[in-house]
Amino acid sequence: MRRAERSPAPPACGLRVDPYGFERPEDFDYAAYDEFLSAYLAVLTRRALKWSRLLQGDSGLRRTATVKRYIRKGVPLEHRARVWLAVSGAQAQMEQNPGYYQRLLRGERNPELEEAIRTDLSRTFPDNVRFRKMAQPCLQKALSDVLLAYGLHNPGVGYCQGMNFIAGYLILITKSEEESFWLLDALIGRILPDYYGPAMLGLKTDQEVLAELVRVKLPAVAALLDGHGVLWTLVVSRWFICLFVDILPVEISVLQTVLRIWDCLFNEGSKIIFRVALTLIKQHEAFILEATGVPDICDKFRQITRGSFVVECHTFMQKIFSHPGSLSMTTITRLRESCRAALLAQR
Amino acid sequence: MAETYDFLFKFLVIGSAGTGKSCLLHQFIENKFKQDSNHTIGVEFGSRVVNVGGKTVKLQIWDTAGQERFRSVTRSYYRGAAGALLVYDITSRETYNSLAAWLTDARTLASPNIVVILCGNKKDLDPEREVTFLEASRFAQENELMFLETSALTGENVEEAFLKCARTILNKIDSGELDPERMGSGIQYGDASLRQLRQPRSAQAVAPQPCGC
Repeated sequence: MRRAERSPAPPACGLRVDPYGFERPEDFDYAAYDEFLSAYLAVLTRRALKWSRLLQGDSGLRRTATVKRYIRKGVPLEHRARVWLAVSGAQAQMEQNPGYYQRLLRGERNPELEEAIRTDLSRTFPDNVRFRKMAQPCLQKALSDVLLAYGLHNPGVGYCQGMNFIAGYLILITKSEEESFWLLDALIGRILPDYYGPAMLGLKTDQEVLAELVRVKLPAVAALLDGHGVLWTLVVSRWFICLFVDILPVEISVLQTVLRIWDCLFNEGSKIIFRVALTLIKQHEAFILEATGVPDICDKFRQITRGSFVVECHTFMQKIFSHPGSLSMTTITRLRESCRAALLAQR
Repeated sequence: MAETYDFLFKFLVIGSAGTGKSCLLHQFIENKFKQDSNHTIGVEFGSRVVNVGGKTVKLQIWDTAGQERFRSVTRSYYRGAAGALLVYDITSRETYNSLAAWLTDARTLASPNIVVILCGNKKDLDPEREVTFLEASRFAQENELMFLETSALTGENVEEAFLKCARTILNKIDSGELDPERMGSGIQYGDASLRQLRQPRSAQAVAPQPCGC
């Protein structure tokens, strides 16, 4: 079997596989990464101290303005699972339903669901050594169980491609199937609109909402896409479906960026996705406007999710709250209603 | 770098999840098997310039997610496709059973004249076969499709599938059955043919194209 040629050994300063099991790409820029990391480590240390103090205090993790500010500045890795569980309401659900996850897996089986999940097991994070068949332990089993339990728990959604990346990512971070299950439930059941159901109406709606926001905030980009007849589905459906996992390339440097986005997603809700999308587009507006055709537009939208802008997660996360300008939940709700009505009328 | 070509054809790769659509596209474009691949979310895109019957043709290929529910998202990309690879997995009867639905989508949403080649992929897994060659060729005949069994792993018949589809479209253009100028034909003239159209006839014979069959 032919395989892509591998480059020679990586430089001694870095490991080929990051602490989460992701293989670094051959063109990984170790020097730039080290430079970023040495600055970011100082931030992480400072944040870790502040978080320890916050979590020791009596007020704990109620959703206060302080907690929101802290979360926007990044949750330290050691507290991440706990914070996600608390602010998303997953912890409360888990405590109210002890043993529920295990019971789902022991319950009645659904061969169709199992088959759909099986098709994607080896296609989830193929560049992560822990998800490989030969890994000990192999996370494919945990992934399969979490997805299966979720499909049985929420038969209206069942399994939709993209959920595998989200569940896989939750497993890597929480290292717990049950916690991953409840966090997945928080995302799909409460935080996100109907992205994954059979009609994918929430996904289609939010794509249109983003298009509307771009029309108002970045009219030249909207005109470019409209002029070439490019539907927003083509360039952004993966952003919504995968919540930027596997979009922003997943080695640890950028993984930080996705983690930071998810910190805010669990606490502040789906609005964050629009902030990230608008920031990516706005930051690269001139670059996108160079595109001359449909393939070129697709390619540019792919490229803007790479490079130093997204790697430098601390600056990136500051920008998502300033770059796109005001974005009230009232606006989003109003746009969701009108776009949804328009989509339903088209059917 | 500017590419010159006589025609541009829009192609689709459609079929159920896990049949190897993206691997076929990857094999065709990169000439190798994609070992560790993610499944496609939404729509992906690839292109390659090929030489068919003395004409250079740029194939603009849209690769779609196979899971049923994504069809409502990917259907918008069918419009104006000139050709399609309709893919099933020879080791999965289920993927074969859903061919009719995919075909209806292609003919109603792209164009009734879309040129479709049926590809029975994973030919290299013959011991696990669930769909016979004969059965699939009968289906192809009944539905006026071309048919090949392919292997994205070994590359067998992959190039042929794309070229056969392109050649048929070119023949239909030559015979007048397809009109590239019709809106939504999925066919565009490239720079090369536009130049030829503008040049006096005598200049056209200067650079004969090699035959790529």
